[in-house]
Amino acid sequence: MDEQFKLEKKVTRRSFLKMMGGLGLAGITASIGGNMANASEQTGGRGWLPEQYQSSGTWPAQVRGRVPIAPGNPSIARDDKKCILCGQCLEVCQKTQTVFGYYDLPIIDDIVCINCGQCALWCPTAAITERDDTDKVMQALQDPDKYVVVQTAPATRVALGEEFGLAPGTFVMGQQVAGLKRLGFDAVFDTNFTADLTILEEATELIKRIKGDINKPLPQFTSCSPGWVKFCEYFYPDLFPHMSTCKSPQQMLGALVKTYFAKKKGIAPEKIYSVAIMPCTAKKFEIQRPEMNSSGHYWDKPSLRDMDAVLTTRELARMLKKKNIDLTTLPEEKYDPLLGEGTGGALIFGATGGVMEAAVRGAYFFITEQQPPANLLQLNPVRGLEGVKEAAVDVPGVGTLKVAVCHGMKNGRKVLDAVRKGNAPYHFIEFMSCPGGCIGGGGQPRSAVPPSDEVRMARINSIYQADARMKKREAHENAEVLALYNDFLQHPMSHLAEELLHTDYTNRGKRFIPLQA
Amino acid sequence: MSKAVLVDITKCVGCGSCAVACKMWNDLEYRQDSPIMGKESKLDAENWTNVKMVEIEKGPEKETVWRFVKNQCLHCEEPACASACFSKAFQKSKDGPVVYNPTLCVGCRYCMLACPFDVPKYEWSKVIPLVRKCQMCPDRIRDGNSPACTEVCPTGALTFGEHNQVLNKARETINKDSKYIKHIYGEKEAGGTSWLYISDVPFDKLGFRTDVTTQPVPRYTENIMHLTPAVGLTWGALLTGMYVYNRRRNEIAKEEHSKKKNDKKKK
Repeated sequence: MDEQFKLEKKVTRRSFLKMMGGLGLAGITASIGGNMANASEQTGGRGWLPEQYQSSGTWPAQVRGRVPIAPGNPSIARDDKKCILCGQCLEVCQKTQTVFGYYDLPIIDDIVCINCGQCALWCPTAAITERDDTDKVMQALQDPDKYVVVQTAPATRVALGEEFGLAPGTFVMGQQVAGLKRLGFDAVFDTNFTADLTILEEATELIKRIKGDINKPLPQFTSCSPGWVKFCEYFYPDLFPHMSTCKSPQQMLGALVKTYFAKKKGIAPEKIYSVAIMPCTAKKFEIQRPEMNSSGHYWDKPSLRDMDAVLTTRELARMLKKKNIDLTTLPEEKYDPLLGEGTGGALIFGATGGVMEAAVRGAYFFITEQQPPANLLQLNPVRGLEGVKEAAVDVPGVGTLKVAVCHGMKNGRKVLDAVRKGNAPYHFIEFMSCPGGCIGGGGQPRSAVPPSDEVRMARINSIYQADARMKKREAHENAEVLALYNDFLQHPMSHLAEELLHTDYTNRGKRFIPLQA
Repeated sequence: MSKAVLVDITKCVGCGSCAVACKMWNDLEYRQDSPIMGKESKLDAENWTNVKMVEIEKGPEKETVWRFVKNQCLHCEEPACASACFSKAFQKSKDGPVVYNPTLCVGCRYCMLACPFDVPKYEWSKVIPLVRKCQMCPDRIRDGNSPACTEVCPTGALTFGEHNQVLNKARETINKDSKYIKHIYGEKEAGGTSWLYISDVPFDKLGFRTDVTTQPVPRYTENIMHLTPAVGLTWGALLTGMYVYNRRRNEIAKEEHSKKKNDKKKK
């Protein structure tokens, strides 16, 4: 039995040592051989997209740097995973908006950004997109204690449908209201209401400037575009006296909801959660501006903010889709009364030249107390996508009102430099930070990337056509606005109107080093 | 021959293009919990470079400024990691980059201990872990291009060139403009590195180690280790001598012992 378990070959001491010696020699040889290997087989990459582009340098893939986005930016956020370094964000910020590259380095404690969101529109992969506030709003909607109010900008109703497959410019005002009601908003108001209000306040201000009743220079600048306002605060703070003191329609409505509306309905203002659907990413910055708490001052509660959240058109579309609400199947519904009426003049705010045309209609009526002629209901010289537009309007008994319109801050700069030099013989200038006006805002659907004039014109035409269809096309015809003055504000630029509807501006010129000439 | 990169911290706006370019070129993963930019960012196995944001009080008025610092391997002229590695996995190539060959690495992490800047990072989560760090895109440099990060910088904060050219540019810049601190980080640190930094705020406030020796780190051990053959031979000779001497003594002692025994027997 023992014999079977004996090894065939005996392992002697000698054979074992021979084996070890052999292994050792093999190991030494392997080590020496390994040490002779050189550094060419290194770890790391082979190309921009290793599976496709094996060549060196930047050909064929073009890689460029991107815009800096400050970590606390309230309007835009970036997902680095999706960034392909195409450099389009840099392109639009530098060439179209003239922001990046228009300051000297080093930076101080601010990344110069006007929050316009054009970078988000041009980004082909949507790496740059708006900062998501849908969770915040959903939470408020589900909170039984909160009375959630929403307002919609005019530019959103000609673009929201694009997120549901409709053609650019499809007018979906009624369906948007229906969708918002189904999401659970307690009241749906129209920013057009305060756009009309803005016209009355701003035209009053303009006339006072022209007459010399207030000590402010001409030309007057519009102030409803927060991207434009921030641009002026950075690069042209010396021209602040030209800026109208009127808030944007969004902020005016925010202040009125928590004062006028709260009082009329007997709702405690702290329970109101005020949301806006905007084509604009800069609006997310605007609601955070420290001075935007007029309703808080009214009630002696400075921590109460006029507005609580802004959702872009894209975010609203996401919310509707999450709740399986198909915009295309919704019926048309109406805005809620008190702050829901808007005229054609308010609707055209969404297009470049629209604010100006509406203001001219209003100013004509204020000065002459007559209905404006037909050409002011289609003021062609200020319509369209040309960078800088001018118009001269004859006002009988007074003279010629000279106006200018520009959109995109590169065009804005041209006009501002002319104003600085004293070369701008206008009474009133409309500035919009986004090319095309609000319909081309940073929060609009990405129907064309980069945004195309075709899409812009489709939305603009839709707006003007809707204006032409309306019975009331001038701000002073808005019955609810007149009721607001009767019951609450008394008259344009009254003391209460100044407190709630007017604002001032912050000099940001020292937050960066200006370019050496 | 050796290439270098100058990082001008005053020109960095924190856009992160360099960090994204590095991820793209080297096919690195993005990890949610490991951002490449911002105050919390740091180097790790998948982040070969990061852009760290620092808020500093500058000047006599203690004005708060934002500065952005790009971190990555400094590609020392005489790297400690290459010296510590007994497998020759880290080598300084003649173009400048300190390059890692994963096939030779045994995962001992001596390089991580040796690096004065704490650069090499380990793949802790893997079963067969490698050491990871910036490679300075050696194949791009070999073909005459700059590293991926330097290629995409939109403000000109990163400049690539021959080492002495880059050093000269750094000297010119800091001497011409009074806002810069009169020090080029990387000129002398650890015996000189290929990535040089100039700044308008003190380097220690930016998170740089300012207590690094100016002697190349490998010299510390080389000073002792170069004596090894001499010590070995001397000690060997000494021991051999003692052995021979003692063997002779034992032989003599044995002879005398057996002679004594024979004498006793004869009696």
